[in-house]
Amino acid sequence: MPDAERKTETKKRGNRLGIWFFKTTMRLAGLRGAYALLYPVCFWYACFDRAAVRSALPYVSRRFPELGSVGRWWTAFKLFVSQGKNLIDRHALVAGAVSFDTEIIGYDQVATLDGGFILLTSHVGNWQTVMHSLERLDKTVHLLMRPEANPALRKAVQVDAEESRVKIISPDQELGGVLPVMQALEQGDIVSIMGDRTYGADGVGIRFLGDKARFPYSAFHIAASARCPVVVLLSSKTGTNSYSVDMAEVIRPKLARGSDRKMQLRGWVQQYADILGNYLLAHPLQYFIFHDIWADGE
Amino acid sequence: MDKEAKLAEIREKLKVLLVDQLSLEDITPDEIEDDAELFGEGLGLDSLDAVEIVVMLQRNFGMEVKDMEKSREVFRTIATLADYVYEKTEEA
Repeated sequence: MPDAERKTETKKRGNRLGIWFFKTTMRLAGLRGAYALLYPVCFWYACFDRAAVRSALPYVSRRFPELGSVGRWWTAFKLFVSQGKNLIDRHALVAGAVSFDTEIIGYDQVATLDGGFILLTSHVGNWQTVMHSLERLDKTVHLLMRPEANPALRKAVQVDAEESRVKIISPDQELGGVLPVMQALEQGDIVSIMGDRTYGADGVGIRFLGDKARFPYSAFHIAASARCPVVVLLSSKTGTNSYSVDMAEVIRPKLARGSDRKMQLRGWVQQYADILGNYLLAHPLQYFIFHDIWADGE
Repeated sequence: MDKEAKLAEIREKLKVLLVDQLSLEDITPDEIEDDAELFGEGLGLDSLDAVEIVVMLQRNFGMEVKDMEKSREVFRTIATLADYVYEKTEEA
């Protein structure tokens, strides 16, 4: 067996073993027991996995510019623990082992929206878990994403189940998936688009946490064309068994004719970046962007 | 008006709308070839321009997205778009 293949298999086996270990602990000792396991595991990653720490630093250094190198390292460790808790919660939810109390801010406003809308998500909190709270809206949710990009998410929200009201629209299909997106909006559904990382799509340079980053603008362009609102979805874990979902910010983009489209779109993207930045002031350890989105902005 | 005349009229209208709605600056409606590819190498439009075209067909020709989804190849050129609009208009 080639070295690379062997390494991959070993890594995969390790992952399965790790997940099994956490799941078993969760069954035996509950969420708190599984959380306790996270601390030594994350400490190991913080000490020996330089790539993991490096991937957390672009955010940590901008959110906490006052910290020195030890402080940033310690914050990266706390971020790993926080993300680990979110991942455990996701597994617990899928297994039906736990239910979370979810406070939804702005629900009434969103529930009264007439027709379809864009749900603008971010790498903040546990939006996979939050998808379950959207069931109250009684609308089908279409995730604009590559199906193979996140198998864990597909399992978490049971995308493949026939009765599931969460569907995937791949941007790799003809015309970037525009037709199914427009049809979904026309029939009054929700289209969920990630707003804080381009993943190769077109974007615009904006200011985010004091520095220039690049965010995609497709959500606002589609919304302006389809004349539908953009609901900004933010979430955070607020306790062992509780989450908060914030849908209070609704942006209604409308492109003016004759002006530069990209410049107009930049305004709404900046508005979203400011909303996200303000949210992170209150929930700094709920942002799981392990990628240098600021390098994309250069 | 016979079919060819109607198709020619639709093609011209589509070209004008395309330049206007997509704010194309480097090309006039007259310069758009009927058989030029709209996306990729031809006119170089992208998926976000496709959004505008979908909306343009909705608002100016009363087309429905669910019908367009069944006929994605119609977005290839002005000629294929015009054929599609003609066909749907005749059906109605």
